[in-house]
Amino acid sequence: MPLNDPLTPGRVDWTGENPGILLKGPDGNFSAMSLFFRVAWSPAGAGQLLLLYGDPNDAGGGVSAPNLLIGDNGRLAEFLMQEFIGRLAAFRDAPPFPGLEYRPARSIRSSGDPMGTRYTETVAGEDLAIELVWEDLETPRALELVPEQTGTGRHVMFTVLVPARRARILVNGRQLPGEVGTRVQAGMETTTAFLYFSETWIIPEAV
Amino acid sequence: MKRTSINPGRVEWCGENPSILLEQGGRESVSALVFRVALSPHGRGCGCVVLGAPDEGAGWPQVPNLLLADNQPLMRWIVDGWVGEMPQFRHRAGFRHMTWLDLDASVRLPDADRSCHSETLRGPGVEVELSWSGLGVPIPVEAHREHSSTGRHEMYSVFVEAESASVAVNGTVLPGSVAERRLFGRTMKSAFLALSQTWVSSPAREG
Repeated sequence: MPLNDPLTPGRVDWTGENPGILLKGPDGNFSAMSLFFRVAWSPAGAGQLLLLYGDPNDAGGGVSAPNLLIGDNGRLAEFLMQEFIGRLAAFRDAPPFPGLEYRPARSIRSSGDPMGTRYTETVAGEDLAIELVWEDLETPRALELVPEQTGTGRHVMFTVLVPARRARILVNGRQLPGEVGTRVQAGMETTTAFLYFSETWIIPEAV
Repeated sequence: MKRTSINPGRVEWCGENPSILLEQGGRESVSALVFRVALSPHGRGCGCVVLGAPDEGAGWPQVPNLLLADNQPLMRWIVDGWVGEMPQFRHRAGFRHMTWLDLDASVRLPDADRSCHSETLRGPGVEVELSWSGLGVPIPVEAHREHSSTGRHEMYSVFVEAESASVAVNGTVLPGSVAERRLFGRTMKSAFLALSQTWVSSPAREG
């Protein structure tokens, strides 16, 4: 529930949408990881970005399982890498992180209904099409998290979470290996495939 | 009051809701709202409400009182549950007589340097262009129901105030200029972007 003062103290770092799919292999380790950003406001402007670790255990990745950033605003990609993705341990500490390269996208589009059965984000670049598919969607929940509950450890964060029980990552039509797993967020068991809408990251005044 | 990480209320809808309220001679001359709904029980959609002659009981094309929507059931739900609760719309003759039209296309253009923003919406024989300029610093808001415009919902959003704004219908700029009003306990401009907006039906407030 909101605090009594309607104006949240702090500085908006960025706001927008941030769905993701983290797939796990039989050994319990991540086999493919993706985060999508549709940013409505940031110091680097608005835009869209997809981060894909087609092979999180290999610094280079490959043609069929690339590790890359692809989007429509290079400045935004730099900002998110420095100020946000670089603060998420699961992504920062993976071998592909230091060598990630940015590619411009030719088209980016969403489809489906987050309160229906299926939702997708599709990003296409030169010789490359990546599709994220979320299915078996759960009821949306509004979250308001304090820094100790967020991945960066430094933000207050508001968001609407729609967990998915099934999800796929497709690269040029080929499905990457792995299954949706479980995780705990703010004491609630949820899944590693999620839609996040109306998400706002705020740096509290004291930081 | 302490934060409740997982809001117990029901998420009604989330998306963007930029607004322009113009005054001329101390009276409201134009009220305009844009909705870009990312999630709702009625699906996703985009639309706008424009009252360019709020005190005239007539619709488009006699006067610029109109609504454009690409998802009419969604917009009916939004109008009944939200727009009709707002004082600048509720008791105005133009609101009751505005013409409902299908939205054919929409373009959202945030400026690269974050100082301007525009929304263009087109329907049969009509084009509405809304522009915001002199955009300020984003303000995070978390409002209890007594602070929200409906009085029934909790609302999270990021507001970006505009120094100036305009509404044009088929190239004709509607009269009036941005004013100031009290909102969330402070004086704010009457034209702003409302990004990452989430409306939650709140259970009875505790404590």
